[in-house]
Amino acid sequence: MHLRESIFVAFDTLWAHKLRSFLTLLGIIVSIWTLVAVVSLVQGVNGYVGQKIAGLGSNIISVRQYSIADETDQARFRIAQRRNNPITMAEFQYLRDHASLAAEVAARDGHTNGTVLKSGNHSMTDVQAIGVTANSIKLASFDVLAGRYFTSSDESRDNPVAFVGADVITQLFPGVNPIGQSLTLDGHEFQIIGEASVQGNVFGQSQDNFIEIPLGLYRAQYGSADSLQVDVQAPSAALLPALNDQIEVLMRSVRHLKYQDKDNFGLVGADSLMALFNQLTGVIATVMIGVAMVFLVVGGIVIMNIMLAAVSERTREVGIRKALGARRRDILMQFLVESAILSTVGGLLGIGLAWAFTLLAAAVTPLPFSLPWLAVIAALAISTAVGLFFGIYPAQKAAKLEPITALRAEA
Amino acid sequence: MPLSPSGIADIAADTPAGAPSPGAVPDDVIIQTDNLWKIYEMGAERVAALRGVSLAIRRNEYVAIMGPSGSGKSTLMNLIGCLDSPTRGTYWLNHQLVSELDDDALATIRNFEIGFVFQTFNLLARATALHNVELPLVYAGVPAAERTQRAEEVLRKVDLFDRRLHRPNELSGGQRQRVAIARALINNPSIILADEPTGNLDSTTSADIMALLDRLWEQGNTIVLVTHEADIAEYAHRVIHIRDGMVARDERTRRGAAAPQVRE
Repeated sequence: MHLRESIFVAFDTLWAHKLRSFLTLLGIIVSIWTLVAVVSLVQGVNGYVGQKIAGLGSNIISVRQYSIADETDQARFRIAQRRNNPITMAEFQYLRDHASLAAEVAARDGHTNGTVLKSGNHSMTDVQAIGVTANSIKLASFDVLAGRYFTSSDESRDNPVAFVGADVITQLFPGVNPIGQSLTLDGHEFQIIGEASVQGNVFGQSQDNFIEIPLGLYRAQYGSADSLQVDVQAPSAALLPALNDQIEVLMRSVRHLKYQDKDNFGLVGADSLMALFNQLTGVIATVMIGVAMVFLVVGGIVIMNIMLAAVSERTREVGIRKALGARRRDILMQFLVESAILSTVGGLLGIGLAWAFTLLAAAVTPLPFSLPWLAVIAALAISTAVGLFFGIYPAQKAAKLEPITALRAEA
Repeated sequence: MPLSPSGIADIAADTPAGAPSPGAVPDDVIIQTDNLWKIYEMGAERVAALRGVSLAIRRNEYVAIMGPSGSGKSTLMNLIGCLDSPTRGTYWLNHQLVSELDDDALATIRNFEIGFVFQTFNLLARATALHNVELPLVYAGVPAAERTQRAEEVLRKVDLFDRRLHRPNELSGGQRQRVAIARALINNPSIILADEPTGNLDSTTSADIMALLDRLWEQGNTIVLVTHEADIAEYAHRVIHIRDGMVARDERTRRGAAAPQVRE
């Protein structure tokens, strides 16, 4: 075998025509870059979101007015708007009394737009105001950093007390112990009883910008027409499917749905959120990979073109090699190896760029750095395969040259 | 005994065209062609470049093939060099019938049996002298270490060992031709086929190259020289004149008469 000869010649030629090689490889470089960067970013984002969604609370099913599918599809949403009713306090109480498989059944209602928090000279707007039940802390992704959470008597007596996120403390009570201080939420006074641990950002959105008050007070202050969100926690992940079924049955019975009726409420779990997200990123990835594939084909055709040029430039060389004993397959292999190496080098450059790109993304965004090995290996394999495939025709052309004709060609 | 034109005619007459047998080739004959035809089809026109060439060259002969351009000597050289196949007739090279082989089989024959020396040197421009000389061994499947060692040896023979790492454009014309000769020698071919080896060289360098070919002949190589220059042909011991695609004359030169016809 003379693979080494072919590889040597390939690198020698590549190096001799640096600029031409680079320009030839642009298509491959860009497509492999896109391919690897997209796969890396999607993996990074999915990991990040998965982590954050898992942080929202484990083994929890939320009963809501609309399902995720309803909310992400306009046509379905219009139908659901006519069919689905808000989740009421009565339904929450029914679930709490009858969901025997649930460890906890909590309810919440909240909004963000237009809220005003004031304390002394300090004020904040658009803070997330949430009415909660006392057992919500067991489902929450934060801990009590200072003070305490709501008690069942806070809930039943509608005590005007508030539990706040870290952002509220830093903005309204800088340098002051906030526990026992009072503030007003849209004109109603509350006394702070506790402070949540810091949760940080998700996609640049602070998770600490909230104020919680007893659910009864919230509904009294803001009205009770909106749907509640009822969060049901299973004692273990294994019981989650059974709990899901039980909640669905209970909701259908409390709403008197017939067996042929569809659910007029939504059940949302961490896994359905994750599935939705994977679906979204999957679509993005598919589109980008499709674009990259088009680049790849274009890149391959450019390689074929340059290899055809190389064959006619080096017809004399082919003639010399044939005169010295090279067989057709020797020449075929020489040019195939050359185009494969050419495109593999392009693939490597693309991977390098993708690596730099993901490093940059990790530095300027909260996304974790990831460059999946599988994507790197697949990208290398793909680029080599493109070179081999688009190199076949030029290589065959070279291999079929008649030795005398080739020898007589202009150098 | 030298083969006279009449002798060749005898062989041609004795051998039925297209049905030779290995027994027809004497032991010391390295090249034997019988009634070799080459017809080119140019559109509707058929041009016969060779019209029945029969000749025999023995081991360690030093033969020049001479003829003006258009005589068919290049075509004959291509056939002898296994770069092309005849339209009709048979060609025995080193007791192998090569006239009916396909392209790949001919490549192997070229690799092992023929050492080419071209007018334009035909070295690979981007490869060092050493690598150029190694090339036939690459296609012969010789391992790299042995290739290098043998190439260095042959480069020593042509006094170019010191320049083995130079590329052709860093060498003079005469040096380039010596590299080409080293390349021709490396696989111990049956014949060295030199096509106008001095055509691109000045007269002093030409004399050097011809002296080198002489030396190779003395060392036992068979040399076939293709030229249109009479003074170059004089270096050979026997001149085959080609005209109109046929052997016009086959004669011994003065040197050929003086030197032993075939070395024992």
